[in-house]
Amino acid sequence: MGWIAERRRRSRFESLVLPHLDAAYALARWLTRNDADAADVVQEAVLRAFRYFDTYREGDAKSWILRIVRRTCYSWLERNRPADVVPLDEEEGLDEGVSSAPMAAGDTEALLQNRSDLWRLDVLIEALPAPLREVIVLRELNELGYREIAEITGVPIGTVMSRLHRARSALRRAWEGKDIGDAV
Amino acid sequence: MRCEEIRPRLDAYIDGELAEAERAVLRDHLADCPECGPEAAALARLRDSIRQAAPVYRAPEVLRSQIRVALRREALASVRAARPAPGWLAYAASILLAVAVGSGGTWLITGQRQEDAVANELIDSHLRSLLGSHLTDVASSDQHTVKPWFAGRSDVSPPAVDLAGEGFPLVGGRLDLIAGVPVPALVYRRREHVINVFVLPASRGDLSTSLTRRGYTLRHWNEGDLGFWAVSDAAFPELAEFEHVFRTATNG
Repeated sequence: MGWIAERRRRSRFESLVLPHLDAAYALARWLTRNDADAADVVQEAVLRAFRYFDTYREGDAKSWILRIVRRTCYSWLERNRPADVVPLDEEEGLDEGVSSAPMAAGDTEALLQNRSDLWRLDVLIEALPAPLREVIVLRELNELGYREIAEITGVPIGTVMSRLHRARSALRRAWEGKDIGDAV
Repeated sequence: MRCEEIRPRLDAYIDGELAEAERAVLRDHLADCPECGPEAAALARLRDSIRQAAPVYRAPEVLRSQIRVALRREALASVRAARPAPGWLAYAASILLAVAVGSGGTWLITGQRQEDAVANELIDSHLRSLLGSHLTDVASSDQHTVKPWFAGRSDVSPPAVDLAGEGFPLVGGRLDLIAGVPVPALVYRRREHVINVFVLPASRGDLSTSLTRRGYTLRHWNEGDLGFWAVSDAAFPELAEFEHVFRTATNG
């Protein structure tokens, strides 16, 4: 019967995907910067994943679902907050590889310096452009390896490395600069 | 390696992403170099600070259950879409069920085969609910959560009462497809046994019946215009007690 097979399919899907729901939500939360939006995006992404479950081949379920969540985040942002993701013609400073990720509008430095609450690292991370923010989140908070991050974000490992370097440099300049300023 | 070559590799170094040979080169350099050493230490400090400062976001429980319900609905929809409409088999089965249920007491007398068809449908549903993790769509012992959940999802609105005080805690509710029709099921627990109560329109006549098939016990009764079918692997007296407790609580 069709629906017994369907139920079995759903059980398999849930046992593969639901254990990674926290990681999926965290990524969506960092990318959308909002609880309610993150919940919407995650639900949409999980349903989308379920529809395309047949295309999932044995492999890392976590990377698979995070890739879908990430893609859903970006299309959601493009739909609802296009200002957050204006694609740039070239990735300034990101030396290698052609990036498929849209770059956030504005210059990183300027973004980081126009805020008054810069002493908080989490605020600084939120202020990073999305492509830099996501590598920081995937690396530091999800503790994923470069290869997994490359797989999820769809860029070469070298690009992951240089984005991570760039993100950390920006965070350090803003954070440590502020630290010294406050101390003086 | 010179410092300019070391610096771009520092991130990968502190992340443990370098191959052993390269890693050893950097380790030696960092031990000696008065600039790169502190630089690496600062980077590691930043990493630790990020991990401490950043809030840990976890998926809210309500999102988790919303997703389960949405997946279930999605699965139901795809089964319906795949089913040829009206579908000979589904049609035949639903008529069979309607006839069996509708004829109430008489089906027990008139046909062993009809009785078995209904019993088998319900036992199959009961068994499917025990497989995997899909005992409930809405997991709650709160009747004000379970009852409204069914609104709009099925034609009948089952009285969901928690009977924990009587030894039958309400676990939640579920929507099952039986012979192609969405049928609400209330889920109760009796110690280690699960009791599924399927709720259909009342059968004709007000006959309470019990029967056992394949080692499972079924108990049927009507309350008002609703017909209840309790299925469990609990012993027969426990199911009878359940009926009594349930009817008392719902004034049936």
